[in-house]
Amino acid sequence: MDDHPSFRATARVLLEAEGFDVVGEAADGASALTEAGRLQPEVVLLDVQLPHIDGCDVAALLTGNDNSPVVILVSSRASSDCSPLVTRSGARGFVPKAELSGDRLQELL
Amino acid sequence: MIGLRRALWAVAFAAVIAGAAASALVISSDHVPQKGAAISIGLLITWSFIGTGLYAWWRRPSNRFGSLMTLVGFTFLLGVLTSSDDPVVFTAGVLLSSIYFVVFAHMVLAYPDGRLERPWHKGLIVFGYALAVLGPLPQLLWGFNPNMKCDGCPESALLIENDATMRDVGNAITSVIGVAVVAIVLVILLRRWRAATAPQRRALAPVLWSGVAMLFLLATALGSDAAGVQRLTDVLGTLGLVVFASVPWVFLIGLVRSRVVRAGAVSELLQRLGEAPGTGDLRCRLADALGDRSLQLVFWLDDKERWVDSEGHTVALPQDGDPARASTAVELEGRRVGAIVHDITLREDPEMLRSVAAAAGLAVENERLHAQLRARVEELRTSRARIVEAGTQERRRLERNLHDGAQQRLVALSLTMRLAQGKVHKDPARADELLSAAQEELKLALAELRELARGIHPAILSDRGLGAALEALAGRAPIEVHLTELPADPLPEAIEAAAYFMVAEALTNVVKYAHASQATVRVSRYNGHAVVEVADDGIGGADPGRGSGLRGLADRVSALDGSMLLDSPAGAGTRLRAEIPV
Repeated sequence: MDDHPSFRATARVLLEAEGFDVVGEAADGASALTEAGRLQPEVVLLDVQLPHIDGCDVAALLTGNDNSPVVILVSSRASSDCSPLVTRSGARGFVPKAELSGDRLQELL
Repeated sequence: MIGLRRALWAVAFAAVIAGAAASALVISSDHVPQKGAAISIGLLITWSFIGTGLYAWWRRPSNRFGSLMTLVGFTFLLGVLTSSDDPVVFTAGVLLSSIYFVVFAHMVLAYPDGRLERPWHKGLIVFGYALAVLGPLPQLLWGFNPNMKCDGCPESALLIENDATMRDVGNAITSVIGVAVVAIVLVILLRRWRAATAPQRRALAPVLWSGVAMLFLLATALGSDAAGVQRLTDVLGTLGLVVFASVPWVFLIGLVRSRVVRAGAVSELLQRLGEAPGTGDLRCRLADALGDRSLQLVFWLDDKERWVDSEGHTVALPQDGDPARASTAVELEGRRVGAIVHDITLREDPEMLRSVAAAAGLAVENERLHAQLRARVEELRTSRARIVEAGTQERRRLERNLHDGAQQRLVALSLTMRLAQGKVHKDPARADELLSAAQEELKLALAELRELARGIHPAILSDRGLGAALEALAGRAPIEVHLTELPADPLPEAIEAAAYFMVAEALTNVVKYAHASQATVRVSRYNGHAVVEVADDGIGGADPGRGSGLRGLADRVSALDGSMLLDSPAGAGTRLRAEIPV
């Protein structure tokens, strides 16, 4: 879930190349919530900086149930800017966008 | 003016003739008891009103108050017709003997500007005239009250029969209506008093209060007449006459007194200003001299073309037709420096206002310079705040642009490189594809960074000067841009930067809004100023308040003590011009 299409496209190619099954994409917080409800993914990659709603708020809405997906926040900001937010949001962890890879995801899962 | 004076002399002459004729009528009468007293009281009242009225008419020809006062005098004389022994003239005299009173009420209502305030006041006065003529009719039709009947008076020419009941009923009706009309007039006058400002009250007081006293006495007299208390009616009638006779004198004394008092205060002001111009509180001195505590001084700023108060805040002058306030211009050596905003009643004495305004010229100019300084400080304060705000906004915009632009491209690049790395051995062809894509992405990221850097400060401007930077701007613009003039020598760096950003913003606006086919850019030195001008052949009608771009430019230019002007008539292109002192 990211508002930049170029990042979504590249991330999809990268993750699929590393054996992940990408079931859906969303460009904003509201459609992320609907899509997550519809597709029931195991993992949601969520951008912290979204146009109308903060990614951490979306993370809090996505998590909290027993069958909630694992939420991993991503951002092009430095990880130190985001870490206090991650712990509060209910997300499993944080990966800087430039360092996204299957291995980093596996570590967090 | 000479025509008016002649006409007024003719009226005065007519008053003398009319007075003489009236006296002759009284002398020849069979039924007027104390002829000497009747003649002297009658002439005193008539000539007081006419004389004072003519004086007021001459002083203020545009004000109808003087003519109304003169008319009161003449109509008062109509009552003398009752001295006639001829029944028809006598009857006419009785019918017309109360008219003067309505003219008087009209005059008091129209005081001080000579005009009735509301249309319905006019209706009330017209009704009053009708009532004044109809009022004596019951007595003329059905015989006089035996108490009032004078010895030797002729019979009414309109007498039908002597019928006390009809007469008394008629009398009572007209008297009650009369009392009601007088009461309405009184209420109007009292309301006006309550709504008046202090200077207005000073102007209103003499005529208004004697008018109120007179009307009150008359209403009580009419009431007691209707109730049949003859003695009280007579006493109140006489008292009313005394008050009535005093009105022109009270008015005259008020007029002279206010002139004397104001003239004294004005000459004192002139003397003090002459001794030490610009010291002390000028506003208070002018307020004292003109007797108007609400007086305000405002100053004219030539460069900004607006009025400001002593604190430098923009103010508006009272409009023409404002019922309460007016302004008088203050000039110094033919140049507008300020204005006195005062109560409208001071307009009654334009000569005094003129002399005060003329005397205050130098002192007002001194205060104007202070006000100008304060206005400048105020303006700098707000434009500084706007510049700080604009800086914050700009940084926010830069962060956003970096985040959404180059940073995203670099992130994508990093991921593509990682993918390519994984494919180098297994699928070299795919790796090659990915590396080509990465190279494209890198080019775009570089272009975006370059664009951003140029927005912060164009490198070409610092490296190669304004001319080259403007040529680059013109070359990048999607419409034809002609650089028609550039200064021979480089301008100071801050001015070059301001000129560059002004041209950049102006060309952006031309492309976005003007529907222009071409634009011209001129930068020149003129009279110690750098003049930057961008003109297009588009649709014009640009709104200077639109967007923050122009406002930001104006702030940038005014921070350098310059000024910016947007000229954009609809259909005739747009011209943005800035002048910055070098």
